[in-house]
Amino acid sequence: MVFSKNPVTAAMFMIISLVGVAALFVLLDSFFLAVLQVLVYAGAVMVLFLFIIMLLDVGPDVAKQKITHWRFGILGVLLSSLLVVVLISLGLPSDFSGANNPSWPVLSDAISSGSESLLFSTKVSAFGYGLMTKYMLPIQIAGFMLLISMVGVIILSKKVARGEDV
Amino acid sequence: MLTVTPHHFLILAFLLVGIGFLGLLVRRNVLLMLMSLELMLNGINVALLTFSKVGNNLDGGIFVFFIMTVAAAEVAVGLALLVALYKKRNSVLSDDMAYLKN
Amino acid sequence: MISLALSMLFLPLLSALVTLLFLRKNGNLASLLSVCTSAGILILALSLIFGFEEDVQAWDTTWFAMGGWELRFGFLIDAPARLLLFIVAFVGFLIHLFSLGYMAHDSARPRYFGGLSIFMFSMLGITLADNLIMIFVFWELVGFSSYLLIAHYFKTDEASKASRKAFIVNRVGDFGFLIGIVLTYWSFGTVNLIELADLSDFSPSLVTTSLCLALACGFVGKSAQFPLHVWLPDAMAGPTPVSALIHAATMVAAGIYLLLRIDFLFTDQALGLIAFLGAAMGLYAGFCALVQKDIKKILAYSTLSQLGYMAAAFGLGAPGVALFHLTTHAFFKALMFLGSGSVIHACHHEQNIFKYGGLRNRMPITALTFLVGVLAISGVNFLSGYFSKDAILLWAYNFNMPIFIILYAGAILTAVYMFRLYFITFEGQPRSESATNATENSFLMTGPLLTLAVLSIVGGYFALYPQRLGAYLGPDLAVVSSLPHHMWMVVLGTSAWIIGLLFARSFYWKVDQVDPLTRRYPGFYEICQSKLYFDEIYRFYVDKIQDPAARFLEIMELLFISGLMVRGSAGVTALFSMLAKACYVGRIHAYIIWFMVGTLGFLFYSAVLLD
Repeated sequence: MVFSKNPVTAAMFMIISLVGVAALFVLLDSFFLAVLQVLVYAGAVMVLFLFIIMLLDVGPDVAKQKITHWRFGILGVLLSSLLVVVLISLGLPSDFSGANNPSWPVLSDAISSGSESLLFSTKVSAFGYGLMTKYMLPIQIAGFMLLISMVGVIILSKKVARGEDV
Repeated sequence: MLTVTPHHFLILAFLLVGIGFLGLLVRRNVLLMLMSLELMLNGINVALLTFSKVGNNLDGGIFVFFIMTVAAAEVAVGLALLVALYKKRNSVLSDDMAYLKN
Repeated sequence: MISLALSMLFLPLLSALVTLLFLRKNGNLASLLSVCTSAGILILALSLIFGFEEDVQAWDTTWFAMGGWELRFGFLIDAPARLLLFIVAFVGFLIHLFSLGYMAHDSARPRYFGGLSIFMFSMLGITLADNLIMIFVFWELVGFSSYLLIAHYFKTDEASKASRKAFIVNRVGDFGFLIGIVLTYWSFGTVNLIELADLSDFSPSLVTTSLCLALACGFVGKSAQFPLHVWLPDAMAGPTPVSALIHAATMVAAGIYLLLRIDFLFTDQALGLIAFLGAAMGLYAGFCALVQKDIKKILAYSTLSQLGYMAAAFGLGAPGVALFHLTTHAFFKALMFLGSGSVIHACHHEQNIFKYGGLRNRMPITALTFLVGVLAISGVNFLSGYFSKDAILLWAYNFNMPIFIILYAGAILTAVYMFRLYFITFEGQPRSESATNATENSFLMTGPLLTLAVLSIVGGYFALYPQRLGAYLGPDLAVVSSLPHHMWMVVLGTSAWIIGLLFARSFYWKVDQVDPLTRRYPGFYEICQSKLYFDEIYRFYVDKIQDPAARFLEIMELLFISGLMVRGSAGVTALFSMLAKACYVGRIHAYIIWFMVGTLGFLFYSAVLLD
């Protein structure tokens, strides 16, 4: 996806990887999230991307140009491989019991101090319960944020229209 | 027989983040950069869900849910901004948008 | 009671807000709103005064708290508060009415009426407040609204300078007042008036002269007493109804009212000083008023002199008599100010009395009511001023002879300059074109005049006061009536105004464009005209002492604070900013790299260093 010249191709690859991630979710027993992943990401977000790609018509013309500066290319490869190495070397916990994990003191504190913990479940109702009890405030904030982003998008697209008139 | 352990999931998640970051760095097309961001978020989602599953705790799953919400909003706003910029500059390359300097 | 008092207090504030926010362009509506507000205040005040049985109504609540310390917000409605409340509401209402006529052609009416509403709000606050800090807050607010209203004609140099002067001089007094409040809190541990009264009864040793003198600074500034009297005459640059309301009837009287509220804190030495200063002010202002040409300045000096009488009465231990004089003075002085406003309005804003003359025939109602005011203030028998002023004089005659002599001389002077004002303005022939063409004003302006004239006549009969209003005056006035030398005092008082009348008649009956005093006694005239050089002394102080000191401090500040500390820290910041600027390349990819370097650094820190 990263190195494909045509943005449409890249988007297609992206969809494939998103569906793959959905499959991983299924492997992790999170069926609800897998469905959401397909619906929201593959369904809505990527369609939006494709739609914009076509609206802006950035296909072939842009594709002919170099996709990157070589300096950033080299730096990017170096940095991102460094990132992966660091993450893998530091980020893999030796055991997953949480509280007694020595390499993540901050995390283990956070886990052990959690007041009420929701047990993992495959059921959608468990999600609903968690969202409506412990995460009541966050979900309201998220809803409000969605509203704001909607308003923002509308205003942004209006402004451009006015700019064209002038 | 090769069993699938949580480590494999985590390594895959880190790789997703890394690839996303690589895309973010090397691409000049802002559209593609946004897509790479989504890829990074997906990597994080996988990691979170893995921890959630292994730690027997639903919080991680709920966080994945929130991240999806935020990502959707972010994409919408980001693309709207991109369209606005495109109409002004007639380009989606990040180089052409570097006009904060000078 | 509470909701009534609260709504009365905040009604004018609301009206001012509405005027400020919505009616800035609509003069008619703004003035109407303001007048309705003052009428509402009058109704609420009357129901607050007469609607309840308790002699003292107190209520308070927490305004805000800081840690264990809290500031209370409360009302204390006792007898003097009720009387002042009545004066403020009633005179305020009349003056609002008068303003309708007087300001009818002014282009900035919303600003004017908004200012009046703010003033009503803050004055009611002072009247009702039950602790010193609240009084101080409203004290500053009346100062502010007075500043606003003096500066109404801010395009003229005179008004803008006068407003600044009033504000700054008041600040000097208020600073002392603030120190007094701090001292009070320090030694008593409370600023609530009721608790203070109890505490000072309980342990008299807490009451000290320095404490009450510091508190009296507030009175000196607001009531324009010596040595901070210089602002009041200049404040006459404001519109005339404002002078009547703020600078004659209510705000300057608030100083006396403050003294009444804290009279239990005063020691004998402090009282003696206040009495002497007040008496001196009564005489000094009389001399100043004698030679003024501006009709409003004459009245301003007369206000100063009458405030001096009140201060003397308070200082001699007769707060009830002081409040009595405050009441009658509020009536007749507001009457005279409004009368002068009527004259000024009719003569197209001519204020020089030597440009008037013969107005009695052209403006009969104004002339008649003004004459009532003149007679009242001069102490002509059986008018209001006769009762209140002679009560003060009798008290002084019995308790302090030197002060009596000063006050008596002041009383004669009062009669002289008041009849001078009346003769020059209303008798003789018109001495300018505007006076020739003057006509009587509309009922909107003469109505308040007539009302106030009636009050100036009957305001002195204490028996007419309802018990709810006069409760505070009763005891002191009973003492007055039991004092000896009553008949002798009547003779003295009557002779005072007759002497004044004859003197003024002989000097000022027929005048031309110049003051006859300049020809006959030029030296005396000069001394009075200079007002004992107070303005010059203050100017000298500001120019030669305060300004150099300020300049010295400024140089020190430039060298050390701004040179070493401010500029030095700015240099360090600039260095950092240059470093940061180097990172600023304008490419989004560069920023992503910086971001990731930061993230990696954070990971490294958390994983390796924290471990």
